[in-house]
Parts: sequence; structure tokens; C-alpha cells
Amino acid sequence: MVEFLQFLVPGILIGGVYALLASGLGLIFGVMRVVNFAQADFMMLAMYLSWALFAGGFGLDPFLAVPAVFVVFLLLGMAVHWMFIRFVIGRRENHDAQVILTIGLGLIFQNLILIRYSSEPRVVAPSYANAGDFIGDIFISRVRLYAFLLSVLVAALLFLFLNRSRTGRAIRAASENWEAATYMGIDIDRTNRIAFGVGVALTAVGGSALVTFQSITPFVGFRFVVVMFAAVVLGGLGSVSGAFVGGVLIGIIQSVSQVWTSAAVKNVWVFALFLLILYVRPNGLFGKVQRAI
Amino acid sequence: MRRVVPFVVLIAVVAVLNGWLDQRFYVRVLTLSVVWALAGVAWNLMAKAGQISLGHSAFVGIGAYGFTLLLRGGGTSPWTGMVIGMGVAAAVALAIGLPTFRLRGFYFTLATISFPLIMELLVSHYGDPELTVPFHPESEWKFMEFSNSHTYVWVGLGMLVVALAISELIDVTSFGFALRAIRDNEVLARAVGIRTVAWKSAAFMISAALSAAMAVLWVKAVLRVTVAEEVFGITVVIVMLSVAFVGGVGQTWGPVVGAAFLIPLAMFLDDSIGESVPGAQELVYAAALVLVALLIPRGILPAIEKGFRRLATWPRPSLEQAGPSLLVRLAAPPPRPSPLLRTPRRPRRSRLPQPSDTPVLEVDGVAKSFGANRVLSDVVFSVDAGRRVGIIGPNGAGKTTLFNIMTAHLRADAGRILFKGVQVDRMRAPRRYELGMSRTFQVPQGFHLMSPLDNVVVAAIGASLPDPVAASMAMLERVGLAGKAIGELNALTTAEIKSLELARAMVSDPDLLLLDEPLAGLNETERARFFETVDELVSPDTAIVVIEHSVRSLIQYVESVVALDEGRVIAQGPPEDVVSDPRVIEAYLGSRWMEHARDQ
Repeated sequence: MVEFLQFLVPGILIGGVYALLASGLGLIFGVMRVVNFAQADFMMLAMYLSWALFAGGFGLDPFLAVPAVFVVFLLLGMAVHWMFIRFVIGRRENHDAQVILTIGLGLIFQNLILIRYSSEPRVVAPSYANAGDFIGDIFISRVRLYAFLLSVLVAALLFLFLNRSRTGRAIRAASENWEAATYMGIDIDRTNRIAFGVGVALTAVGGSALVTFQSITPFVGFRFVVVMFAAVVLGGLGSVSGAFVGGVLIGIIQSVSQVWTSAAVKNVWVFALFLLILYVRPNGLFGKVQRAI
Repeated sequence: MRRVVPFVVLIAVVAVLNGWLDQRFYVRVLTLSVVWALAGVAWNLMAKAGQISLGHSAFVGIGAYGFTLLLRGGGTSPWTGMVIGMGVAAAVALAIGLPTFRLRGFYFTLATISFPLIMELLVSHYGDPELTVPFHPESEWKFMEFSNSHTYVWVGLGMLVVALAISELIDVTSFGFALRAIRDNEVLARAVGIRTVAWKSAAFMISAALSAAMAVLWVKAVLRVTVAEEVFGITVVIVMLSVAFVGGVGQTWGPVVGAAFLIPLAMFLDDSIGESVPGAQELVYAAALVLVALLIPRGILPAIEKGFRRLATWPRPSLEQAGPSLLVRLAAPPPRPSPLLRTPRRPRRSRLPQPSDTPVLEVDGVAKSFGANRVLSDVVFSVDAGRRVGIIGPNGAGKTTLFNIMTAHLRADAGRILFKGVQVDRMRAPRRYELGMSRTFQVPQGFHLMSPLDNVVVAAIGASLPDPVAASMAMLERVGLAGKAIGELNALTTAEIKSLELARAMVSDPDLLLLDEPLAGLNETERARFFETVDELVSPDTAIVVIEHSVRSLIQYVESVVALDEGRVIAQGPPEDVVSDPRVIEAYLGSRWMEHARDQ
């Protein structure tokens, strides 16, 4: 039992971060029906930014850097939408273009970082990196706890933004019914741009929450791509709150699987669960059934 | 002839280069160009059905590991290993594909991502992350151990030609028609008898097998070591995507053009600046993907073709100018689908016999809800052979939902549908079409990338007609569209689109024809003409069910009417009785009008 809890608790903690990573992807899909394959690479870029702010002479604590990371990636996301994504929105014929455009952008990010910083792994180690507390027999890592709390805080802010602000409501309206939203006088291009910016920024914040215990390479995104997709599909494609629940579940499964199998294959369980969900409940655990025609 | 020329050009170009180049690096560039063209052709087979796979490295990995393990274990020839690997890859493709092929949209793409990742993790952890390929100098051909590196190019060229031939063959047979129809409009394809899951599975299996074959050549000719991270890696998929999309997605020759352009570019760049710029190769593929997505999403080949056609028809020939120029004829698409379509692949599936005492259609207690919204409850009616029945009711009464349940686009929550006395509830849309059920759509549907003729040909193929092209052309003549048979679908007027819908629905000579608001958008003359055309086309035994808002036109045509309101049958019987039924008037006009009418 104690062994189980020793895996369950860190699983919930890391799951909170996965939830944050996935909520950005879910928001973007929900609003503009684009599966952003570059999402994990925005996360990678954010990790490098946190590392640069920490190790590059500023010595800025990665958790304190979060507001800066959020703003930078909000703007970067909006810029990327304005320069690229908006040209492939909408029509069914653009489906293929969306896939290859976002894959291509992700690859460009990876290789530009590779050229600039090489593939050497980078670490961000603040003074409390190895600190932690025992609650009973269970060790709770300080940085993972902070990362989890940060994710919960951002989730609460996101909830307020989507439900209380005018822009947030426009985003929800667009995600509910794109066409009806335009009839209600919602500027869909602007809403998309903001949603893409916010979606990228959420994942970026998730990335900076990770840096204290995840080493950074240009290709670190690969490890998270399927984790993010799995979380989003688990919660129902396009549902932000579903993505949150999905993220926590993925974190738990990944961690608890280590009771039975080696940590090296923990992602096999995630991928297998991802497939299982796609096959048996493609609309997600709580997904709505869509009409056929 | 048109189809042979590219093969001759390809073989000639590769042969000349292979004979002329002697520096090791250049031969390597040539080999890899052929290898990736082959991989792209394999990947593209799936794209013909509009399915973007991000998991093909699973099949490449299976091919590479399969032959290496067999060679190490029992000294099995790589050729035998290749065949076995192809078989395993095809079986795995079937297992991967079947669960996702029923879903539309992004699900197939998403599902494919994780397979190579799972395999790589399992192979690296429980197997060997790296396997050397044992050296067998005793027999060059048996062990694919060529001392002359040019031989690998010849072998690769041979494999590429075979793969291209398979792809061409698919294009010109009903296989290709089915895949294009699926890519274009999957719902419609199912409604005209295209068994989408079977065709997609077949394409995926062939595609997987060719990918496994390519892996053997890749490892033997270039890699020399089987590394899990490489053969199962995402880069394999990236290169496949890049060569296919740059050349032309879904186009047989696309990947050849894409590979000829991208692979040398990436390799020369890597050779010249790779030392200082480590990601140069990947940047080439990435930039290609982004540029293609933004500028020419269909790829180079279709873009060239389009430009060529525009050039050839400029200045636009006047209408009187008969006899197109040579350029126009070269650039125009082949006017008729291939003669290969004429061979019946299988005997026409036998229709159900029509028992004389049973109605063609019986709807028995059908109910349907969308969430809490009850759309149909306990709908009961039947239609006898040769009869015409109208369905009326205000918007939202559940009429189209009822059609969708009859043709298996939706599943009923309760109740039964009997077609010629046989319960069809568990049969899917293509099967019901084969049995003799056919429909048109409220919002006209079409395969927009196909000509009007091909739109009907797909339906004829779905009905397994022995000569789909002739049957379709004859049907177009009867609805008066023969002159527009090979034009663009988007050039048709509303009335012509309605005629095309009718032709597509009638080409199978159905026993039950379902028309969903056929008169919407037509003017008075066209309305009057429409039902005349229907009567000219149908055989006397065909039962017809029409949904129509234009009640006046409808009651002149049908023999009985079923009135629906809020998902319930509120009246049925002879048209005059139903339209004068107070409940029907109330449903259409509201209770206030009823009071008004009573006061008069």
C-alpha cells in the first residue's frame, strides 16, 4: 500500500503539469479544430527560455519567471497564428495542410534550438531542487509540489478567464459553434489568434514548471507529444476541463505502472491507454456524441 | 501510353545517373533518393483515401527488425525475410486500422502516432536497441550483399517501379475510385455502396507491406545496422510526409518528384554545412512542409498540371472553336475512366427477392433521441412495391433523421426497419445500398474533386455493375446531363445538381428510392419537370418515399402521405385526407390559425 502511494502521489503531482500542458492543446483544438503538432515544441522553447533566465546571468527562479514566460509565449503564439496558422483554418481541405504545417513548425523550432544550443542536455537546479518533505512514509519532492500548485493556480485563472472575461466568453462561444459565433458579432480571426496565443502560453507555463526536474534538449518535446494527445483525447477532444482531468489520469497511470513494470516502459502504458480510449470512446470519457450528418 | 511514359523517363534518368556517377557520395545520394521515393509511394497509398498516417515507421521498423533477426537467427535470405516482414506489417496494419477506420477526422492520424513509439520502447527495453546485420559474402544475390554499390540502385529502381505500378493499377481500377470517393466525401461514399472500411484496410495493408520492403533495402544498402531509434523513429515519417506532400499528396508520381527534389537538396546541404549546422537536413524537410502547406497544399505535380492547363487554354478558346489544340488535349484529364473498370471484379451481389405479400419497407416503432432531445418516437408505417409515399411535417419534425436511420447513417434507439421482409437494422450503409436502397440528400452531396460522370461511376461501382462507365453515361443521358459529364462539378446549376443526385441514386436501379426535399431550390418549371424525370427512370416495382415541403407539388405525385410532428406520426393515408386533417393543419400553422379557421 505504501509502495502504491509512493507512486500515486508523484503521479498526481506530475499529472497536474500534464493537465496544464494538455489544456493548451485542448483549447486550441476546441476553438479552431486544429491539432497543433508543434505544441510540445512550444513547451520545449519555454523550457529553454526558463533555463536562459535562470542560468544566463539573471538567476531568475523558474517559478518566478512564469509570468514573463506566459506573456512571451502569448505574444509568440499570436504571432505564429498571424503568420502561419490563420491561412490553414477552416475548410475540410485544409486538414492535411494543418497537419504538415504544425509538424513543420515544430521541426523548425527543434532544429533552430539544436543549431544554437547543441543537443547537450541542460538542467535548471535551484537551491531547493533536491529538497522535499516526508508525510508519513511518503516523500514529496518540493519542486514537484510547486509545479503542481502552479498548475492548479493557472487552471483556476484559466477558468476565470474563460467564464468571466468578454474575450474568454467569445472563445467559449467560438468553440461551441464557430458559425453561430460569427453571427453574434464575434471577430473569429481575433478570437482564434487569442485562443492560439493563450493555448501556447498555457503549455509554455507547463514547460517552465517542468524544468526543475526534467532535463532540457531540443527533442524533449517528443516525450510529451503523445502524453499531451492522450490527455486531450481522454478528456474529449476540444474540452479544456476534460484535458485537465485527462492530464492528471495520465500522470497517475504513468507513475503507478512502475509498481509492475520498469520505469523505462512507463510510456507504453500511456500509449496503450491512448489507443484504448481512441478505440472504445473516441469522444473521450465524458465526450458528447456528435450527430452524423 | 500516357501512363507508360513516366516509367520510361524514370528508368532512363536513374539508369543514366547510375552509369555516370561514380563518386561514393553521389551514388549514396542516388540510392537514398530511390529508397525514399519508394517509401513515399508506399505512404501515399493511404493518402489516396485522405488518411494521413504518422505511424509508418512502425512498418519500416518491422521490416528492418524482421529480416535482421531472421538473418541472424537462421541465415535466412533477406529476400525471404522481406516477404515475411511484408506479411507481418500488413497484418499489423489491419490490426491498427480496423478500430480507427470507422471514425472520421483526425482520429486515424492521432491513433497512428503511438504505434512506433510503443514498438521502439518495447524493442529497446526487452529486445536489442541495435542489431548488426551479419556479413554474408558467399552469395551476392541470395544475401543482397552486393560488392558493387550501383547494384543496390538497380534493385531499388526495380522495387520502385513495382510499387509505382501497383499504385497506378489502384488508380485506374475501382479500388482507386473507392479511395478517391472516401477522401472526397466519406458519408456519401458509404451511401453509394462503397465499403469504406474494407478499402481503407486494403490500402493500408499494401502500404505497410511496401514500407517493410523498403526497410530491407534501406538497411542493406545504406544503414548496415538496424537501430531501433532510427528505423522506428519519427524522422522516417517526416521524410515520407515531406517527399509525398512536396510532390503531390495522394498522387502516384508525387513522391518520386518530391524525393528527386528534396533528398539531394538535404544531403548536399548536410554534406557542405552539416558540420557547423547539425540540423540542416531536418530543416530542409521542415521548411518544405511549411512552404507546401502555405503555398501549394496539393503539391508540385498538381500545381504544374494546373499551370500547364491554364497555359494551354490561354487565350480562352471561344465556344465555336471546336477541336481542342494538342496542348489542351495533353493537359486535359483523360476523358473517360480506364477500360480496366469494365471488367467485372465480382458477380453482382444478388438482391433480396421481393416476396409478393410483403411491403418493400416496413418502419416498425422507430425511436431516436439526441441526448435529451427526443427526435422520433414510435414511428410506424410501410411502403408497398411500386408505391409512392410522401413524408410531410414542419421543420424539426424528424423527417431527415428518419431517412438517416433507414439508410444506416444513424442508428435507431428502438424499433426495427424491415426491407423486403428482412430486418436490416444491423447492416451498414453500403450493404443496404447493395440490397437495393438508394437516396438523395437534403443538402446535395457530391464528390467535388470528381467530374459529374465519375460521381455516378462511384455509385455504379458500389452497386457492382458490370460496366460502371457505360451505365453511368447512359444514366446521365437520361437525366439530360450528358453534355456536362466530364466538366467540373462546381459548374453545375442547382437544377443540374438535383439531376445528378437523381442519376447517382438511380444508377443501381434501386427497389426503394428515398428523395429528401428534391424540389428545394427549383423553380416552377423545374419542379414540374422533376417528378416526370423520376417516373421516366424508375421501374414499375420501385417504391419511392419523398420528403417535401412543397405540399402542393407532393400530393399531386404521391399516393399516400405520412405526416410527422415532433417525431410522431400524426396522420397517414390518402393525400387529400391527410392535408385536411386538423392535426396536420395545426402542426403546420399553429393553433391560432386553427381558431381563426373555425371562426370563418
